[in-house]
Amino acid sequence: MRQAGRDGPRWSRRALLALPLAAQAPDPLAAVMASLRAVPASRATFVEEKQVPELDRPIVSRGTLAWRAPDRLEKRTLEPAPETFLVEGDRLVLERPQRGLRETIALDAAPEIRPLVEALRATLAGDIATLRQHHEVSFSGEVAQWRITLVPRSLRLRGAVQRITLEGRGGVLAVVETQGNDGRTRLMATPAP
Amino acid sequence: MRFWRVFAAIALLAAAFPLLLRHVELRSDITDFLPAATTDEAAFLLQELRMGAATRLLIAGIEGAAPEDLARISRSMAQRLVDDPRFALVSNGSAMVGDDEAALLFAHRYALSPAAMPEAFTEPALRAALEGVLDGLQSSAAPLVRRFAFADPTGAFLAMLRGWAGEGRIATENGVWMAPGPRALVLAQTRAAGMDTAAQQQAVAAIRDAFVQAAPTQGARLLLSGPGIFAAEAAATVRADVQLVSMLSFVLVGGFLFWRYRSPMMLAVVAVPLAAGTLAGLAVVGTVFGHVHGAALGFGMTMLGVVDDYPILLVTNRAPGEPLRDTARRIWPTLRLAVAAAVAGLAPMLASGFPGLVQLGLFAASGLVAAALTTRFLLPALLPPEGLPVRPLPERMAHALLRLPARRGAVLMLLALVAVGLAATGGPRLERDLAALSPVPEPVRALDGALRAQVGAPDVRVVLALRADSAEAALQGAERVAAALAGHATIDHAARYLPSAATQRARLAALPEDAAIAARIAAAREGLPFRATAFDPFLADIATARGQPPLTPADLAAAPLLAARIAPLLRPEGAAWRALLLPTEIRDMAALRAAATGSPGLLLVDIKGETEALLAANTTAAVRWAGIGALAVLLLLAGGRGLVGGARIALALGGALLLTFAALAALGEAITIFHLTAALLLAGVGMDYALFMSRSGDQDDEEAARALGAVITCMVTTLLTFGLLALCRTPVLHATGLTVTIGVACAFMLACALAPRRGDTTSSA
Repeated sequence: MRQAGRDGPRWSRRALLALPLAAQAPDPLAAVMASLRAVPASRATFVEEKQVPELDRPIVSRGTLAWRAPDRLEKRTLEPAPETFLVEGDRLVLERPQRGLRETIALDAAPEIRPLVEALRATLAGDIATLRQHHEVSFSGEVAQWRITLVPRSLRLRGAVQRITLEGRGGVLAVVETQGNDGRTRLMATPAP
Repeated sequence: MRFWRVFAAIALLAAAFPLLLRHVELRSDITDFLPAATTDEAAFLLQELRMGAATRLLIAGIEGAAPEDLARISRSMAQRLVDDPRFALVSNGSAMVGDDEAALLFAHRYALSPAAMPEAFTEPALRAALEGVLDGLQSSAAPLVRRFAFADPTGAFLAMLRGWAGEGRIATENGVWMAPGPRALVLAQTRAAGMDTAAQQQAVAAIRDAFVQAAPTQGARLLLSGPGIFAAEAAATVRADVQLVSMLSFVLVGGFLFWRYRSPMMLAVVAVPLAAGTLAGLAVVGTVFGHVHGAALGFGMTMLGVVDDYPILLVTNRAPGEPLRDTARRIWPTLRLAVAAAVAGLAPMLASGFPGLVQLGLFAASGLVAAALTTRFLLPALLPPEGLPVRPLPERMAHALLRLPARRGAVLMLLALVAVGLAATGGPRLERDLAALSPVPEPVRALDGALRAQVGAPDVRVVLALRADSAEAALQGAERVAAALAGHATIDHAARYLPSAATQRARLAALPEDAAIAARIAAAREGLPFRATAFDPFLADIATARGQPPLTPADLAAAPLLAARIAPLLRPEGAAWRALLLPTEIRDMAALRAAATGSPGLLLVDIKGETEALLAANTTAAVRWAGIGALAVLLLLAGGRGLVGGARIALALGGALLLTFAALAALGEAITIFHLTAALLLAGVGMDYALFMSRSGDQDDEEAARALGAVITCMVTTLLTFGLLALCRTPVLHATGLTVTIGVACAFMLACALAPRRGDTTSSA
């Protein structure tokens, strides 16, 4: 595994340490969640490909992801246009400095955004209860190479987003794919040093 | 039991009171106490005070918890209240346009949106718009952007909603309005008018309930302000004041009367004419008007406090061995004159034209007459012939007071000095602020001011109003006036939200032809990654919009938010329509005024100035009718007591009023309508004193002492009641109490000083 280098960051060593334990668990989903829970903080770079039906080529954006347990997730897009997307607790802050835009949203007040945020955040937190609260969860693969498929419970939301697929290895989230009316978005994360 | 008849009478009267109240409607509209409007501006202002949009606004502030908790409570409350039919509009900062309304507004966006200008559809503008769409699609907000952008790339719909969002005067945090503190803010507009006290109380209860149902976190507090709160707080304060005062004065007066008459019975005796007078006033006013104003009832009962004097005068003036019936017959001419003069003093109120004051005058006049008749004919029949024993006055005090007429010169000199002093300082200051009349306690008004400032409710100082035959004409008028005045102020008006049908048609007519817009989109798309068909929804919507009929006020059933927004700014008035324009950030008032004068049919109302003018007119009118009343009283006194005797009484009365207003001026009191009403009451009381004291000229010493004793008793009871009122905070109670307390003391001293000298024959009449 690439991220298991000797001078890799602390989180990856922890993730690996958690692996043997998790592997013995009878329920592989619970084991993956346990591995994810064992990661208190992580950083990664990402490449995101967004396919929009009205566009003849996908939009590609790049940036960094930063996770800190229990509930802080920051997605910082660097190109094509800088943007900060930060969720912490019940608060979502979207900032686009070039447009002079800064918006704060309460997730409690946004029943159509919350499931999308939790799909990512509850997974990183290894919080299966929250995940199940908003989605129907199915699992395939094993702890070393897993795939979780989420279908939103809210019918209203399912009208817009049909499925979210997350792939990873142990306590590391690698791919997030969202399938919706707005087209398909595929985010690929690479752990950062 | 020698007094059973008195108790029976009181029981009967007490039973009649609730019975009568059940048949009389009580109203509470403070504007009844403002004069009838003589100008269009004043008429408009009075109407706004009665039922304007501001009177229907309730503001809730939630504080004492973390912002997230406050936001949660705010949302929970708003959700609950939005479904409550008592509220026309509930907003807490979160966008709450329903799906149906959003669809309707979206369909009409090119007619309604100020952003749907021809220049928005030029090729360069479309190119910029398309680049904006692409940028939006790149962001995390892409799903939101995609929802509207391909049908509405120029952003007409979102620009329209942004224009409605209260111009962002309040900061939004966690999705709801949040003022520093933090304090979440919720606005609710009731359907019921602000003067509908019962409905307002219900609305307040609904909001409090919504707060409780929101399961507020520990420490979270709900602050509320609005007409319903005002009415409740005012009523509670007045009630608390009145309860305390009546309890204290009952004890004090009761104690005093017990000492004076060696029997607790006197309190019951005093109650009989008072109850009879109140019932008579209530019955007469109820019959004449069909309803009784709550304030007229309140003031009226206060004014009827005078009739306490009648039974005291009766019982105290009884000579030893004289049956009470003979005493009643003996003092009747004087009592009759006192009542007639008091009624004459009230009569001009009947002609004053203020509905509230007419009621008050009628209530007091009928009450006085009924109480006097009760004293003359009923009381002697109810009481044992020997009445009640009276404890004589301390001899030294009686002696000193009876000798006062010898110092008449000094007293007259003092009156002259005070008159000159008062004239030299320009007389007492008149109250110019309507708020000072409000019975609403100061802290409640301060909270209202703070909440209003945080909500960003504009401090409306100037209102422009225009009438038109139809809603469409009113909207066109509003557009015309707003355009004409645009340079001088920022103007809010109904056509900002719902343009006139003419404007909507003009906007639609200015939309480019199908082929032209398709060509421009194709050109603007050049080099951008949009597919050729990407903006087909936009082209289709433009084609549809062109064939749509305009949206009119009659179509707004499906658009409650838009309807609620224009309701305060556009409303039917009889067969016509009224549009209001609210200028804020006025840059040049003179220019605004000049420009407004140029628009025919437009009314510019300077709220503060107009309110002050109304109050001044109110006070001037009150002074004028007081003058007429004084003249009537003089004539009556001259008829009853001869020219000199009449002048003597008038001087005592006028002197008392003069000293009272001088004292009020010295205390820094600003004179309100309440002081003037109290002065009328005081004149009535003072007259009783002067009339009964001036009988003493042709009486023997013993009789004079009895008359003095009666008047002193009257004065002490009045002081014990009204002196306590002066300590109240409610403006009306304070003003009445203070005026009467000072005045009664002055009237008594003057009545003593100006009474005929012992053996002075000139006064015999």
